[in-house]
Amino acid sequence: MVDPRLMTESSDLNHEVSLRAASINIDDSVLVRQAQAGDTPSMERLILKYQHRIYNVILKMCPNADDAAELTQETFVKVIESIEKFKGRSSFYTWLFRIAVNLTLNHCQRSARTATRSLDAEETDPDSDTSQLLKDLLSDDRAVDPAALAQSRELCDLAKRLLLELEEPQRAVVVLRDIEGMDYAQIADVLDVELGTVRSRLSRARSHLRDTLENMLK
Amino acid sequence: MKPNPNLDELLSSFMDGELSPRQRTEVQRMATRDAQVARRLQQLQNCRSLFRSLPVEKAPNDLLEQIRVSLERHSLLQEQPVVRRRSIGAWQLAFRRLVAAAAVLVLMGVLGVVVYQIVSPAPQGAVPLASDTRSPSGGERDRTTVIPLTVADAGFTGRLELRTARLAYADTFVARAIENSGLSGQDQSDLVGNKRVYRVTGTRESVQRLVASLSGVWQNFEGAVLQVDRPENAATPVVVEGVTPEEAAGIVAQNSTQASLEAAAGYAVMNRVAKAMPGGEFRPLIQDDPSSLLAALSIPRPRETGPEPSTPVTGVRPEGKAQVSLTIVLKSTM
Repeated sequence: MVDPRLMTESSDLNHEVSLRAASINIDDSVLVRQAQAGDTPSMERLILKYQHRIYNVILKMCPNADDAAELTQETFVKVIESIEKFKGRSSFYTWLFRIAVNLTLNHCQRSARTATRSLDAEETDPDSDTSQLLKDLLSDDRAVDPAALAQSRELCDLAKRLLLELEEPQRAVVVLRDIEGMDYAQIADVLDVELGTVRSRLSRARSHLRDTLENMLK
Repeated sequence: MKPNPNLDELLSSFMDGELSPRQRTEVQRMATRDAQVARRLQQLQNCRSLFRSLPVEKAPNDLLEQIRVSLERHSLLQEQPVVRRRSIGAWQLAFRRLVAAAAVLVLMGVLGVVVYQIVSPAPQGAVPLASDTRSPSGGERDRTTVIPLTVADAGFTGRLELRTARLAYADTFVARAIENSGLSGQDQSDLVGNKRVYRVTGTRESVQRLVASLSGVWQNFEGAVLQVDRPENAATPVVVEGVTPEEAAGIVAQNSTQASLEAAAGYAVMNRVAKAMPGGEFRPLIQDDPSSLLAALSIPRPRETGPEPSTPVTGVRPEGKAQVSLTIVLKSTM
C-alpha cells in the first residue's frame, strides 16, 4: 500500500501540474502496476488524472459540494487501500468509478439531504430566455445551441434538479453516459448490471426527463 | 406523439451509437419516413444536450492533502485498536480458560468427595449399614441381609473441642451456659493446664440447648471440632472440623445415634469441601432443593434449636431414655 506520509509534497501546484501532464500520456495499467509496487508518485498521478472527473460525477449525483468532496476523498482512500487487491479483470477506470458510484449511492440512500424533490412542488417559473431555450429543447425541427445552454445558469440549475428527481439507478446511468461519457459496456461494468439494463434505464430516464420538461412548458 | 418505450429505447441507443449497423440503418429509415419519429429523436437529443452542457466541476485543490490526512487517520484507527482488541481478546480467552479449568477442578473435587463418601468401606469395627452374606466359595452373592438401623436411641458420646485466645471469658460463658441449660450438677469440669474440660451428660434436648446457646461466644473460637463417637469403642469416630453451633446442635438433635452419625459425616464432608473452595464457604444453590448437594450428602435436617421450638418434633423418639455425653474442651491458643 502507498504510504500516506510520502504524499506531503503534492500540495505544491507546480508539482501537481507536472504530474497531471505526465499522467495523461502514461497508460493506467502502467501507473497501477507501479502503485501496486508501492510507488507513491504513480498513485498520485492516478489521483490527479481522475480527481476532477470523479468529483464531477459524484457532484451530479449528490448535489452537496462538501459531501461530494468527502466522497471523492473517500473514493481515493479506498482505491489506495485496495490497489494491491486490484487484479485487472476490469479496467482501472471502471474499477475506480465503481467505487465512487457505490459510495455515492450508499451515501444518497443514507442521507436525507439527497432525498428526491418534486419539481412540481417548487417554484419553476423560468424567465423568457430560459423559456425559449426550453422550447428549443423540445423543438421538433432543430437542435439547440449547446453554448447557449451552458450560458443559462437557470437552465443548468434546472438540469441538476431534473437529475435529482430521477431514481438513483437511473440517475447513475444518465450521469455516467451523458456527463462522464462512458459507453454502455463501461456503465454495465461500473454498476455491475446487464447491458440491457443499462439500455432500458437510460431510455426510461431520458423519456422521463423529456416529459418533465414538456410539462413545465404547459 | 404517444410515448413508445420500445421506440424510445431504440432512439436512445441510436443517439449513443449503441446499435448494430442493421438497427442503425433501420432507425434512420424510420426517422426519414416518419416525422413523429424524427421529432422524438430530436427532442431526446436536445435533452441529452442539456446534461452535456452542464459545466464540469473541479475537485477541491487540497484533495491530495485531504487524502493524505484521511489515510493517516485510517492507519491510526485500523492499526492501534486492532492490537488492543487482539490483546484484550487474548486476555479474555485466557481468563475464560482459567475459570473453566478451575470450575472443572472444583466440580471434580466435590464429586470425588461425594463418591468417596458413598463407596468408601466402613471403618473397621463400625456397625455396618448392610452386610453381604456370601457363599463359602466367595464371589457370588447369595443374598443381602440388611441390618436395620438403630431402632432404639442409645444416645451417643462426643467431644467438642474449642480453641480460643480468651480462655477465661469463654470459660465463664460456657459455665453459665451449662448452668442455664439445666445441666448444672452434672458437669464435671477440670482445669488442666491451659485448657478447661467439661463433661456433661443429659438428654438430647438439654445438650442441644447447651450447644445452641454457645453461638453467642462462638466467634471467639479460632477452631471448633466436634467428634461423634460410634457405639463401638473401637470404631473410628466421625470428626467434624470447623463445626458451627448450628451444625453441632443439629447433630445432637437427631432422632437416633445413627442419624447423628450420618449428620456428622455429612457436615464433615461439607466443611472439608467448603474449606477447599475459594472463600471457604459452601452453600447449596437452593437450600430446600432435594436434588441439591446438601440432600445428596444425606444430611438430616436438624430440628430447630432454642428454648421454645416452634415446630414439634415428629416421629417416634425414645424421649428421656437416650443420654448424650458431651465432653467440652476449651483450649487456650495463647
